[in-house]
Amino acid sequence: MDEGTPSDPWFRLKDLPMGTTVEIAGSDGRRWKGTLVPSHDLSGGRIIQLKLDSGYNVGIRVAPGDRVEVITPPPKSGGDGAPAPRGPAPPAPPPGHIALLTTGGTIASRVDYRTGGVRPVSDEAGILEFYPGLDTDGPVHVVHVFDRLSEDISPEDWSTLALRVAEAFSGGAHGVVVAHGTDTMAFTSAALAFQLSRLPGPVVLVGAQRSPDRPSSDGPSNLRAAVRLARHPALGEVVVLMHADLSDDRFAVHRGTRVRKMHSSRRDAFRSRNGPPLGWVNSEGITLDQPFRTAVAGAVIVEPLDPRGGLLWSYPGMDPDAAARYVEPLRGVILAGTGLGHVSSNHLPWIRAAVARGQVVAMTTQCLEGPADPYVYATGRELLRAGVLYLDDLLPETAYAKLLWALGRSTDPQEVKNLLSADRAGESEARHLVGGPE
Amino acid sequence: MKAGLEVHQQLSTGKLFCACPTELSETVTSVVLRRLRATGGENHHVDAAAAFQAARGLTFRYESATTSCLVDLDEEPPHALNDEALDVALTMALLLNARPLDEVEVMRKIVVDGSNTAGFQRTALVAVDGHVDVGGRRYSIPTICLEEDAARKVGEEREEVHYRLDRLGIPLVEIATGPEIRSGAEAREVAEELGTLLRATRRVRRGIGSIREDLNVSTDGGARVEIKGVQELRLLHRYAEVEEERQRVLLVVQRSLAERRAGPPEGLPLDVSDALHGTASGALGDALGKGGRVIALGLPGFGGLLKSPTGTDERLGRELADAARAAGLRGLFHSDEVPAQGITESIASTLRARLGLGDSDAFLLVAERVAGGADRALESVRRRARQAIVGIPEETRDPLPDGRSRYSRPLPGRDRMYPETDVPPVAITAERLARIARSLPERPEVVRERLVREYGLSVDLVRQMQRSGDLETFESLVAGGHAPSLVARLLTQEVPAIVQQVAGGAERLSEPVLENLLAELARGSFSKEGIPAVLTALAKGASSLAEAVHQAGLARMSAEDLRWVARRLVAENSAMIEERGAAAFSPLMGDLMRAVRGRRDGKEVSEALKAALADRSSSPAPAG
Repeated sequence: MDEGTPSDPWFRLKDLPMGTTVEIAGSDGRRWKGTLVPSHDLSGGRIIQLKLDSGYNVGIRVAPGDRVEVITPPPKSGGDGAPAPRGPAPPAPPPGHIALLTTGGTIASRVDYRTGGVRPVSDEAGILEFYPGLDTDGPVHVVHVFDRLSEDISPEDWSTLALRVAEAFSGGAHGVVVAHGTDTMAFTSAALAFQLSRLPGPVVLVGAQRSPDRPSSDGPSNLRAAVRLARHPALGEVVVLMHADLSDDRFAVHRGTRVRKMHSSRRDAFRSRNGPPLGWVNSEGITLDQPFRTAVAGAVIVEPLDPRGGLLWSYPGMDPDAAARYVEPLRGVILAGTGLGHVSSNHLPWIRAAVARGQVVAMTTQCLEGPADPYVYATGRELLRAGVLYLDDLLPETAYAKLLWALGRSTDPQEVKNLLSADRAGESEARHLVGGPE
Repeated sequence: MKAGLEVHQQLSTGKLFCACPTELSETVTSVVLRRLRATGGENHHVDAAAAFQAARGLTFRYESATTSCLVDLDEEPPHALNDEALDVALTMALLLNARPLDEVEVMRKIVVDGSNTAGFQRTALVAVDGHVDVGGRRYSIPTICLEEDAARKVGEEREEVHYRLDRLGIPLVEIATGPEIRSGAEAREVAEELGTLLRATRRVRRGIGSIREDLNVSTDGGARVEIKGVQELRLLHRYAEVEEERQRVLLVVQRSLAERRAGPPEGLPLDVSDALHGTASGALGDALGKGGRVIALGLPGFGGLLKSPTGTDERLGRELADAARAAGLRGLFHSDEVPAQGITESIASTLRARLGLGDSDAFLLVAERVAGGADRALESVRRRARQAIVGIPEETRDPLPDGRSRYSRPLPGRDRMYPETDVPPVAITAERLARIARSLPERPEVVRERLVREYGLSVDLVRQMQRSGDLETFESLVAGGHAPSLVARLLTQEVPAIVQQVAGGAERLSEPVLENLLAELARGSFSKEGIPAVLTALAKGASSLAEAVHQAGLARMSAEDLRWVARRLVAENSAMIEERGAAAFSPLMGDLMRAVRGRRDGKEVSEALKAALADRSSSPAPAG
């Protein structure tokens, strides 16, 4: 990094606070006047960014002979752009409210026009102001759980979140909405579905594929639909609600254990696998046309996870020694095998050893649609004989979350396998109808 | 008057942030419905123009087309800035003596009228501090930007606007001049010069809508107003003149309001439906007939000032109606229009009494179909009336085909810009600028000299083609072997004359169509004299050249028909032939040429006539 020397204008400029208005006079006669704003992550060296009066940002390379003059220091914080002062603790939310659990990302963010940056909003008043109309059908109580990008969310966070969901219900919530980053939302929904039993109302995970600082964000309409769904009188399971297609007027309700993010950027990225979504939300109302788990009154039970499980994606050329080393410290591993659930037969030795040590090895298919089945090909039968448990049509991610839950429930490998094989949250579909994946 | 121009030229380099071609498409592949909202959260930070648009609460229907992709639908992040498009912008920077930036940062400019699926337009400042010399005067070019074009509006229903995504993302080079233009005519000259320079890069789109101008006009004592998206250069001066007149009228009105000490309208809107049942006609009567209401709003002190004080079309009444329209209403009725729509003087007095108004006061009536449906429009009208007391509001206006313009929204400010973090900034290296400097296009004056030398055309003719954007077509047609003087006359006289008369003609008379026309002319399918008639038929939508020639009545006459017509002519004039002998040939030839109307060569006509005269005695005259 070029730090410059005290006689170099760069030396001083790079440390000026953002929001300072400066004038730069180049030795070549050029002049710039504007407000210092944060440079783009990928800006070049010795480039500062100025916001001009026209609103445009420009990148200016600062040369050693340039002159820099501070015209005005940055406005004091506390005015525009400062977080709203926190008042007294709000009263306890009334029974029947919807709890909106925020987990980070940018469910609500404001553009800071001084710096051009985007600033998240997490307080209840700020969020309700950002999403006007969210509480028109009844009170919404915002609970800030943690602040993580979804790729940083860990199984420990799933347990924290499960506890907060249970607390929300015991605090009188009718339903719970979890605002979550979309990258790993399907992992979280599966984990919550396994950890939480006897739900008294809907738990709806929701996110946005376009950030909320964009006028076109899908966040506001998704969130509104999620809050509506959370008021459903009978639904008692963990679901994911997102855009059903590319229009802003129809939303799909996916079972939390059978959903997957199938596109990196489209707003209808979330798709139910191995069967249709549970239903739909649109301006007419909520239609749940598939059988769903109904709400059960009473306390929610939260079951623990053991994070000592793994997930391994099989590929041609995968090194058996590397796989063995990866699996060694774990209590169990999910394999995402090829086709009907295969790995190369040169992996059989470490699999046999792992099973002999009491580790659980279970198989899913990386096809993401259709069952894993050990009986069709010789390799499958060999894997089965080696002690691999086949998990039918469980998605690899769902199987991983289920494994952590099963490991949390029991220290006995056979019992873990029994738990993995039994239906817990509607994660497996017995009938696969003609019609194929979307 | 002081005016500045912003010239927006579409490039043909491929789209700015995706790999789509820069072509329009008539093939719709899918349709989605979207809504947009103004972002910003804190009201005083939401841009005024953005908030205004969002408040309309419209639904947008986007048609994907064969030349759009997920990026255009805001379903995939933008790709990196198109390098070739940036090269064109930098080329213009050098041609206009401007200073390129060290690093180009892409910004988002909030626009929530639906014309951008993301709710913002991506734009980047590329160069500053240039200038251009036109007609012996120097005009400053403060900024050169590269931005993406908006979606193409293809329709509108009550609460739904339809856009096609083919145009969205086409690169635009935006060149802004300083406010140094003194007249409409000067504006046109500067625009033509900039257009000529842009086309010299040979990487621009051509045809209707490929170059659009924004005109910023301010007058003494008036305000800065932006007339956005003028497509026809020939109307540019007219927009400037009409805007000047509009501001003059509004200043007269402002002075009158001040003399009368008129205050801002404070009265509440009043439902006056009962007074108008059975009497109101037009839009008001229509609304009442359908169970709606008529709402009145008093404007104390405005009486007589809503109509034009100078007898022109510009008047405050129209401004108020535009404000109502921009807020979603179809229009309004005002007291200076009495008697009309069934509102007689006596009904007007009743309404004045109800509203507590006197003779120097005005009132407005609006038709409301659903309760509360006119609230926002009335608030908007009230705001516009308040502004009339203060002066002329700064605003953005839409150009109309007749040279006038119409209010569209408040002037956007700097609050609508924030960085586009999805696109990395681009450093402009010295090597890149050196490469572009080495391959700058021929300057227009050099091109002129060359063409005058090569083709013997006049400088004025070449300049005319440069300014109209026809020079490339000229060169390509001449390269196809057609005579330069013929092609020049076609492009500078015959085609423009027809385009002026036939709506939609400019699109139909494209280069391939003209190429075909010249080829058929060379083949002798019709004569040179027939060009205007064939062009007219093509401009009106003839499906093919053969069809156009047929419609123009110019299809080549068969030899048999020619013989028949000649023989009939001879038979009809036998008395004259007897009498004058050989001297009859000349008048007969004139008659026959008129009958043939260019469908056969003169030589063939003369031979047919000679043959008919020779046959006269030996064959019977045809009947009819």
